[in-house]
Amino acid sequence: MVRRIIHLDMDAFYASVEQRDDPSLRGKPLVVGGQPGERGVVAAASYEARLFGVRSAMSMAKAVRLCPTIVIVPPDFARYRAASAAVFALFHEVTALVEPLSLDEAYLDVTENSWQEPLATNVARTLKERIRTETRLTASAGVAPNKFLAKIASGWKKPDGLTVISPDRVEPFLQQLPVDALWGVGPVTARKLRNQGIERLVDVRAIDPSQLRKAVGSLAGWLRQLADGIDDRPVVPNRESKSSGSESTYSEDLISLETIRGEIRGMASRAARWLARKTLLARTVTIKVRYSDFTTITRSHSAAPTGDEGSIVARAIQLLDRTEAGRRPVRLLGVSVHNFCGEADAAIEPADRLPF
Amino acid sequence: MEFVARKNDLLRELQLFQGIVERKNTIPILANVLMEAKGDEVRFSATDLEVGLRSKCKASVTKPGSITLPAKKFYEIVRSLPDTDIRVAEDKSGVKVAADRFDSRMQTLPKEDFPTLPESGGAPTVGLSPVSMKEMVSKTQFAITGEDTRYFLNGALFVLRPDSMSLVATDGHRLALVNVKRDGNPSANGDENKAILPKKTLGELGRLLGEGDGDISYERGENHLFFTVGDRMLISRMIDGQFPAYERVIPKGNDKHIEFERDRLTNAVKRVALLSNERSRAVKFQIDRGKVDITSSSPELGEAKETLPVEYSGGEMQICFNAQYVLDFLSAVTTDVVALELKDEVSQAVMTPVGAEGYDYTYVIMPMRV
Repeated sequence: MVRRIIHLDMDAFYASVEQRDDPSLRGKPLVVGGQPGERGVVAAASYEARLFGVRSAMSMAKAVRLCPTIVIVPPDFARYRAASAAVFALFHEVTALVEPLSLDEAYLDVTENSWQEPLATNVARTLKERIRTETRLTASAGVAPNKFLAKIASGWKKPDGLTVISPDRVEPFLQQLPVDALWGVGPVTARKLRNQGIERLVDVRAIDPSQLRKAVGSLAGWLRQLADGIDDRPVVPNRESKSSGSESTYSEDLISLETIRGEIRGMASRAARWLARKTLLARTVTIKVRYSDFTTITRSHSAAPTGDEGSIVARAIQLLDRTEAGRRPVRLLGVSVHNFCGEADAAIEPADRLPF
Repeated sequence: MEFVARKNDLLRELQLFQGIVERKNTIPILANVLMEAKGDEVRFSATDLEVGLRSKCKASVTKPGSITLPAKKFYEIVRSLPDTDIRVAEDKSGVKVAADRFDSRMQTLPKEDFPTLPESGGAPTVGLSPVSMKEMVSKTQFAITGEDTRYFLNGALFVLRPDSMSLVATDGHRLALVNVKRDGNPSANGDENKAILPKKTLGELGRLLGEGDGDISYERGENHLFFTVGDRMLISRMIDGQFPAYERVIPKGNDKHIEFERDRLTNAVKRVALLSNERSRAVKFQIDRGKVDITSSSPELGEAKETLPVEYSGGEMQICFNAQYVLDFLSAVTTDVVALELKDEVSQAVMTPVGAEGYDYTYVIMPMRV
């Protein structure tokens, strides 16, 4: 059966939320992220900023070089999460098959939907309209028979775009698709493919499979499928979190063990509060340390499940003893928790610790 | 350098180094044994930087000098040779090891790379009884955790007092403590002398004592401990850190006392544990007038029970333990009878050997929540 998949992608999400909430920012090149002196990176760029060539994940220093008048706004995730929750609530009105990719992006399988709307294009149009009226933000949508085409389609016209690839238009669409439009094909892979004479995705069909494998390795089989427009991956609703945590890069390398401990303590507390919100317990605590020379290590400790802030902090701090933090300058620190279980699972586990 | 030594003399010493050398192979020289030939003996040393060993054996030295060889390979070669004289000689491109009609050349690593082992002699030495030491090591060693983030639990606490000494190990779930009387040593002052010994040190010390001849002389240096047993010296780093206040978790008021025949209890726990929860390994002791039922159950496997008659006239109660912790104790002791002392189902239980001579052994287990 032909599926009807929508990929919805909020336009310049964080930047748009900022412009929505502060009229003085509207129409201005704007980026959300850390300050350039603090090794910040661009988390989101407004369309005005993109005209200067500013892109997400670019270093803030470069963004300022490209556009010296750019406005830098520190991120406020609480507001982004609130906006995201409103958008996702709309998605869930249509179907339970919503697969979030991030705060601002999701796949929806609307083959069957609670609006009883047979045309996915109409579902997408209504969703975009409701997003606009209810959150005063815009989204771009792609409608296609599978995830890969839907994702490419949503990026085709931005912002506020709607691109539909109906089953009979898949082949003409594929014919014009350059290889680097593909998710997972970065500049390096694209260059390798071009070296093989592959400019368009459909060129993959003609090339000898072993030659393709030599050029791009394990990606070859997947590319071959996509070249035929085939992508059977289902829309998987609400992926369960497998871990949670945070990390920070510091504007100056940390040397004092006291400061390092303080940072770890803060991140471990945050992880513990996240567990509390989710009513989960974690068996494993991991810390990550990147030294000033960029060597990165992780250290983990597993024990009886806990959600207790004090013991998660204590475990994280103890893990520091197994690193050279303090003896070597530290550039980045992170703390995460994994191996979740619910309170009920934990109750059957032994609490057989000697009361030292 | 060149020397000739008897196979059995070499083999006896080399096998003691097999546990010492670095196994992870991060620093190649640490997999080697340093041999120094001089006078009428060869001296051996090796270390993984945590634990080191020095020893020696008789040899006829034709050219004094020193070399290093991979401890494991050299041992394997010596072990495989017939009982005869073995010649070890340095030449331009390596080290020749020959005996009988066998001839070999092994790669060596520069002796200059070999780490300098700490020297003893900076502090007074104390004589320790090898029998007592052996007892202490074998009854605590197993309770040390392998890899705990609380690194001070990766070792055992050695406490030396003028008239007694103790070794304590715990992994946070159970604790093993052995106390042994000493003949008051007049040269020692009245203070307690404490040090945390790495797990590996205990293992190697146990091995040296197993070879056992002569007294142990013990020296606590600034950062290292030195145990001299006969001609051999074990050198150990101390673990830096505060050992937990172990006295606090040893219960005083356990009023329920049950004695078991050790063999029968061991067999019962082993059998019943076969159907325990594979993760928790929980076995339950259901105690009643005149008997203890040892039971287990797991949803996936089933359930088991074995009844042991005991002399007990107190109230009914039940308590749950990790079977492995109980079995560890039972296989460490040698007395025919062991005692289990309890307060209630949630407080620490104590196990002791009944009728042990020459030492006090206290084994504390935290029960599991049922």
